[in-house]
Amino acid sequence: MHRIRRLSVALAVTGALGVAAPAAANASALVTISGATSSYPLVALLAAKYNKLHPNKIRFKITQGGTTVGLNDVKAGSVTIADVAQEPTSADAGLDFYPIAKYAICVVTNKSNPVSNLTTAQITSIFTGKTKEWGSALGATATGPIDVFTRTSVAGVLTSFKSLLLEGKSVVSSATEEATEGLMRQAVESTPSGIGFLSNYQANKGGLNVVSVGGVACNQTTAAAGQYPGVSVFWEVTKGPATGAAAAFIHWIDSSAAAKKIIASQWVVIPPS
Amino acid sequence: MALLERLKRPWPDHRAERMLGAVSLLVGVAIIAMVVFVVTRAWPIFQHNGISWLTGGASLEQEFARMSAASASPTAADYQLRAWPLIYGTLITTVMAVVLGLIVGLLASIFIVELAPARVSRAVIPMVRLLASIPSVVYGLIGILVLVPYVGNHLVTEHERRAMQGTVQLTGAGLGVTVVILTVMITPIMIALICEALVAVPSSWREGAVALGLNPLRAVRAVTLPAIRPAIVAAAVLATARALGEAVMIQMVSGGKSFAPRPGDGITFLWEPLRTLASAIVDYREGLASPPLKAAIYSFALLLLFAAFAMSISGYLVKLPLRKYQTRG
Repeated sequence: MHRIRRLSVALAVTGALGVAAPAAANASALVTISGATSSYPLVALLAAKYNKLHPNKIRFKITQGGTTVGLNDVKAGSVTIADVAQEPTSADAGLDFYPIAKYAICVVTNKSNPVSNLTTAQITSIFTGKTKEWGSALGATATGPIDVFTRTSVAGVLTSFKSLLLEGKSVVSSATEEATEGLMRQAVESTPSGIGFLSNYQANKGGLNVVSVGGVACNQTTAAAGQYPGVSVFWEVTKGPATGAAAAFIHWIDSSAAAKKIIASQWVVIPPS
Repeated sequence: MALLERLKRPWPDHRAERMLGAVSLLVGVAIIAMVVFVVTRAWPIFQHNGISWLTGGASLEQEFARMSAASASPTAADYQLRAWPLIYGTLITTVMAVVLGLIVGLLASIFIVELAPARVSRAVIPMVRLLASIPSVVYGLIGILVLVPYVGNHLVTEHERRAMQGTVQLTGAGLGVTVVILTVMITPIMIALICEALVAVPSSWREGAVALGLNPLRAVRAVTLPAIRPAIVAAAVLATARALGEAVMIQMVSGGKSFAPRPGDGITFLWEPLRTLASAIVDYREGLASPPLKAAIYSFALLLLFAAFAMSISGYLVKLPLRKYQTRG
């Protein structure tokens, strides 16, 4: 009898503590973010830094899914902020776009096939399926058919890539679709005859050959200097003007030196307009 | 504490009966609720496509692209779906894996139970049980890191790649690797089931056959195999159920292209990429915010549910005429 009473008291206390602790933590605001896999590393770093500088203010829940998924989520109200890696279109009326950084889209090939440079005409021709074979005309050491890798249709990097480096054309229908930047990287790394495209953060991690476009290398320096042609913007998107915790976070990214330092490490800071 | 005392006393029969009846009713209710849930969410696809969404003819990738880009109020054209390549992919991987698995599993079980020395059986049976319990994601990783690059770099010839250029790319991830890994995944379960059934056949039956002059292997074929037919059917049903539900592993190694591999292509048939219903759900699960894509994903789930039910029923029907041979179950 005594043992049962002691046990139930112990359980009740643990239960009360278990409920109280998360309730105390829940005093902070919740910001949910979904969208582009290309801007996820940047947004994750910014959120971590924000929590370090302003502890217990905001609880971030960041998922990915691709730019289109983020846009649909924020329109439906299921997330507070969408990470978007493509320009706003007419279908995005009612959404507010806040630019946070610029990034470069790099064309990558396998390490065993070190193509050093391609013109935009050659890139278009390869990705639309007009040029089907590797060879010395492209400056490639590989021979044989080209394996084109692209992203699934929800990817913002794909939309930006098409408009910036593909002259608006679509990628050939036989290309293999990869769902995320990581999978695209793994695919090109393991296929000697492969070619694909990645944001500069993923491309310059090593293990791949990064192709220069029109004589300009693809990295953060050339993107910042405005020389590289394939530069696009990472946006944070809210439904209507950002309010509350979301507005505080976005304003912090825009104005704080710590945020600028993080952005400048791998990406391009947007100069104040 | 009076309540605890009351609960510890033995229950009267009628109370125990009603309690167990309620629990089993709960299971039935859960199944019906699941089916209703999936059907109501998959309904828009039937509404806009009729039954023809099960046929082929259009490019699934384009249809998925249109669905992902659809707004919160989609048009009728956004719902267009022709899912035959996925159904065909599911059928062909499952049938090939189960047939291959049955052959290998049956021969392995006969060896383990009838022909192997006791030392070998004692070593092999725990290994088979271990293989049966490995999570399928591990198989998927082995596939994507070892088998797919090997097939892509050493087995696929340039001639084959050029022949398929413009239609699909042969990178190694495709039907062959999928079927091999699926077979390795489902065979241990079959071996375990068939071994159990072989051991349960009364030894007097086999001894009688040997006494009549049959050698041991023929005795097995003539007497034991017909006796374990219900167990072989049970093993096949269980293996098919596991193969149908395999999503993540297949998504990793199947090449992610909604293409229907063509047997007429010769050896290239094994290298062609495909997608199954379950792996399509994994690929597009992040698109649930778009109404047409959500309905499409639920319609694939409905097909898988339907396949599971159909298999349960057909397993039962196949076992009915075998009742006269049963030694157990």
